Amino acid sequence: MSQDVKQPLDYFKHASLFWTDLLHLMSGKPIALTSVGPMRNWANDMKKITTEMMDANEDITEFNQRLTDYYKQLTETWIESQKKVNAKIPTIPQDVEHLEAYKRVWIDIFENDFTQLFDSEEFGQNYGKLVSAELELTKHWENITNVILNSMKLPTRKEIDDVYKELHELRKRITKLEKNDEKKNAR
Amino acid sequence: MQDELVDPKLVEELLSFSRNVADAPKLVPAPNEITLESTPYDVVYEYDKMRLLHYKPLVEKQIKTPLLISYAIINRFHILDIQPSKSWVRKLLENGIDVYMIDWGSPSNIDKYLDFDDYVNMYMDDCIDYIRKEAQVENISLQGYCTGGTISTIYAALHPEKVRNLIVTAPVIDGWKDTTVVSNVGKHIDVDNLVNTIGNMPPEFMYYCFSILKPFEQGLEKYYKFFKNIHDKEFVDSFLRVEKWLSDTPPIPGELFRQWIRDIYQENLLVQNKMYVGGKQVDLTKISMPIFVQVAVGDHLVSPECSMPIYYAVSSEDKVMRVYPIGHVGMIASSFSQKQILPELCQWIKERS
Repeated sequence: MSQDVKQPLDYFKHASLFWTDLLHLMSGKPIALTSVGPMRNWANDMKKITTEMMDANEDITEFNQRLTDYYKQLTETWIESQKKVNAKIPTIPQDVEHLEAYKRVWIDIFENDFTQLFDSEEFGQNYGKLVSAELELTKHWENITNVILNSMKLPTRKEIDDVYKELHELRKRITKLEKNDEKKNAR
Repeated sequence: MQDELVDPKLVEELLSFSRNVADAPKLVPAPNEITLESTPYDVVYEYDKMRLLHYKPLVEKQIKTPLLISYAIINRFHILDIQPSKSWVRKLLENGIDVYMIDWGSPSNIDKYLDFDDYVNMYMDDCIDYIRKEAQVENISLQGYCTGGTISTIYAALHPEKVRNLIVTAPVIDGWKDTTVVSNVGKHIDVDNLVNTIGNMPPEFMYYCFSILKPFEQGLEKYYKFFKNIHDKEFVDSFLRVEKWLSDTPPIPGELFRQWIRDIYQENLLVQNKMYVGGKQVDLTKISMPIFVQVAVGDHLVSPECSMPIYYAVSSEDKVMRVYPIGHVGMIASSFSQKQILPELCQWIKERS
């Protein structure tokens, strides 16, 4: 196994799972003798939560990368805009009229440059990836929550969604039936 | 050294601004204390969270064909009746038009499976059937604003016999031609992953989209102007009403959002007559009734290039397109709309009702 483990994170994940699994197996029989319900699943649930948290770490790296790129785009645009403002009006005026004009120039240049950024392919692509990375983290959080809900004998998100879907389809069917009924009565 | 002294007027300006900020809570109400609805109405029909509003007439002589307004799926209908002097609804009522409005409500998690089929063939169709029965007419005038214009267009294509006149105000039609920053975001997100993971589109996402629209003008300058003009009652009232409306952004049902982004912004199916709603193909050439297209040159939410293709896609012989020198919200809630846009629209409706 040690030959397959190339990355420190992979090794850490493997070692944690190894000991969690082993302890679970070793403790399984004595616990089974003394418990009949929730405690029996506790170790198993902890293993699932630990795995999710370790997987989430990898996605946090991706999320941080995208977030860094996002702020880099904003910062670079800000610096370029400020350079343009400085080139146009080198010193900040100290009287009301000129300060108002300076503010107008500042807003126009920044507005124009940032709109160009938000409208660019590069921004759109990175923003899309940033959202996707955030969604991956959301999924881990949801998986952890589902383990806890399940341990409490409460419905998971998927089970609730299935109920919502069923309700939605039922409402549609009822509406169609009611409309057909109205049409028949109108004849 | 004398040249580097700060202008006393500037100091006075800063002090005056600081006084305005300090006095603001004494001079203006909190946004939560403001009621946005200004024209009285009855709720005449409700289904799920959707409500059909019927505004009380303001003049005795009424034209026969009622008008149903479909507001957008982003924010609430209040902008069309934001204050008496800028109310779209009030102006229509003053012209003898019988006005109904769809309030889509605020969807919750249970509504995540609502899609275009539900909005078009269930909610809107129910409302139109109700109005037809109540007013004893075969068909009605239908107006849609923004994404409400998209829903109205789809409805008119699928149920042309129930629409006498179609008015579309800044509708989202040709997603590939939309040059706004919102469409750029829409084109690049993995909408399936998004909807599958979080369900309904949360308000925070919409706030993000608003925040990248003119961030400095809208994010800084307008608040500066607000405090600077804190003693101008009319300005402050108008400002707070619009701000309150902007902050009231309900979630968008997940499936509706998925179809909107995928079929319109990403695959651009609607304008190509390839979009399917409720299993039926939406063919824009089926729209043959009189149509009035309203577009704003300064629209930074739905660019004119995105709305205008509807004018060319329909088969109507009686069609009008007007391009106004104003923005997305200004088109429906401004002094300009009261003086220029609405008189023209009211005349157009009257001639065809």
